[in-house]
Amino acid sequence: MNSVVCIKRVPETAEATLKIAPDGKKLEEENLVFSLNDADNYALEQALLLQEEFDGDVTVISVGPPETDEIIRMALAKGATNAIRIHHDDISKLDASAVASLLAEQIKDLDYDVVFTGAFASDDAFSLVGTMLARKLEIPHITMAIEMKQDDEDEAEISRELEGGLIAKYRIKFPAVITVQTGMNEPRYASILGIKRASQKEVDVVDDPTIPENKVQLEKISYPPEGKKAEILSGTPEETSSRLAEILKQKGII
Amino acid sequence: MHKLLIKNELLGCIQCGRCSAGCPVSLRTALSPRKLIYKNLRESRKLPKSQDIWSCTTCRTCQQRCPKGVSVMDYIIGLRSYQVERGKIEPTMRDALESILKHGNPWGRPREKRTQWIDDETDVRILSEGEETDVLLYVGCTPAYDPEIQKSARALAKILNDADVDFAIIGNDESCCGNEVKRMGELGLFEMLVEENTALFKKYKFNTMITISPHCYNTFKNEYALDFEVLHYTQFLKKLLDEGKLQISASIDKKVVFHDPCFLGKQNDEYDAPRELLKYLLTDEDNLLEFGRNRERSLCCEGGGGRMWLEVESESPRNAEIRIDDAKSIGAEIVATSCPFCQLTLNDAVKTTKSEDKIRVVDICSLIAENKFEETEMEE
Ligand code: SF4
Ligand code: SF4
Repeated sequence: MNSVVCIKRVPETAEATLKIAPDGKKLEEENLVFSLNDADNYALEQALLLQEEFDGDVTVISVGPPETDEIIRMALAKGATNAIRIHHDDISKLDASAVASLLAEQIKDLDYDVVFTGAFASDDAFSLVGTMLARKLEIPHITMAIEMKQDDEDEAEISRELEGGLIAKYRIKFPAVITVQTGMNEPRYASILGIKRASQKEVDVVDDPTIPENKVQLEKISYPPEGKKAEILSGTPEETSSRLAEILKQKGII
Repeated sequence: MHKLLIKNELLGCIQCGRCSAGCPVSLRTALSPRKLIYKNLRESRKLPKSQDIWSCTTCRTCQQRCPKGVSVMDYIIGLRSYQVERGKIEPTMRDALESILKHGNPWGRPREKRTQWIDDETDVRILSEGEETDVLLYVGCTPAYDPEIQKSARALAKILNDADVDFAIIGNDESCCGNEVKRMGELGLFEMLVEENTALFKKYKFNTMITISPHCYNTFKNEYALDFEVLHYTQFLKKLLDEGKLQISASIDKKVVFHDPCFLGKQNDEYDAPRELLKYLLTDEDNLLEFGRNRERSLCCEGGGGRMWLEVESESPRNAEIRIDDAKSIGAEIVATSCPFCQLTLNDAVKTTKSEDKIRVVDICSLIAENKFEETEMEE
């Protein structure tokens, strides 16, 4: 069975010092480290696991500038068989619907059973592309999958985690779109030699795609308003943790 | 027969078992180098898929003791490299390796925070491209980022300033040395680091490099082709002492035992420099105790070979815990080390064995700094 995995190159923002670009619509990219979106990494791993079990192709597809090839090569090193990059200079200018249209335009002609996407991208956190993609491909979808069991090639049992830790199980017939949560599996490592070898593999570049019109416009990104009561604790970990414990006790929290 | 077996002389093995007998993890994990070799030669000459190889701390004892010159440790690292190529490694190791590729350190911390160990009281010059210094202090990832080990980096900087050493650091452009990367079997990433670091060092002019960690020291000295002198900081401070540039007055009247780090001792034959420094610090030389297992027989703390990022399951106590118990039983009050990994594993063991009121684990440079700059550093 064949899978398609939609992947995105995103900046790692957890510990980085973030600066908003002068136009107020994106982050300054200098000093940021980019990598494969976390949830997409799990989506890719799920496709590779299926491939190990049922054979078939794994096609990775991404929208972005040439730098996107870094994450594509990583996916190829892990075992993806084909790669498509839909060229776009600045994906921060595209809304979810535009991205979904660009992806659908390519995917519709592929021979596939499942399309995997990450449940959301860590940069804009829309959680929309998977759903919109399913609509455009006119196939069913399941979002936020945390487990996937499959005995045959035509359908699968998918679990989703609901509020309060409830688990809902579904059966879905292929073809379908599945958006994957982090934690669904344990993504493998792409070795440097593997990545180097993968750079010989061909990436199919769609150079001049028709860019769909955005329906949602980003107005402006801003820093969170300064908190009035923020207190930064300084000192050794021992000092700061006992001070923190003190404060929590004072406030009656512990 | 697989080339890995030939390259590491496995066919010479006479199954004497000295490797397993000396292996510091064979008692607490399923790893037995002798059995691994036996199975590989006897049952199948393809490479074994055993997960036991990940317990290895790459301490090198097996390889050192083998009477037949079998490169036991290199064989194990080779086996790891095939598993790394298949991508199926423990997630914690995977994250460490990915972090090195992305951020230049295994701790998942951003590059831009690499110099945050430098506080207001620490005076350190950061080199710009083309600049010159006599001594380049290669800080290393753990001293740069770990709050506990940052103290060692600050202590060393103070000592060097006090001794008027012309030294500087590379700053945020400094990257992981790759010693652990190689030992985790990620040989491609190791080669990449060697290339990039060698090119980076060429951007500055200096005569000597000193490292805080014996792990960085080991790989720069033995596995890179560098055209400058590389010293571990204990060797450098010993030299300063001998040249009269560093003064240490005896002030410690406690019983101290030195824990030999594998990568300084066993792997690089440096047993004396740290002991010499300690002797200067002690009011009574007789207070320098020795472990029963010391020098080339020193018990590995299990911090090497990527084991900082991999906990192995075992019913038996960790080696670091055994070490702390040994220290208590010989009456030591201070366990001195000269390796960030030893310091972290031993310090953890002090906590897990509830020995905080009996044993203190401390790096030699912190001891010296306390001795010299008492008022400011006393309570560190
Ligand atoms: S010490 Fe050497 S000869 Fe003896 S069992 Fe180990 S590898 Fe074989
Ligand atoms: S290098 Fe050390 S830990 Fe690894 S197998 Fe040899 S003796 Fe055991």
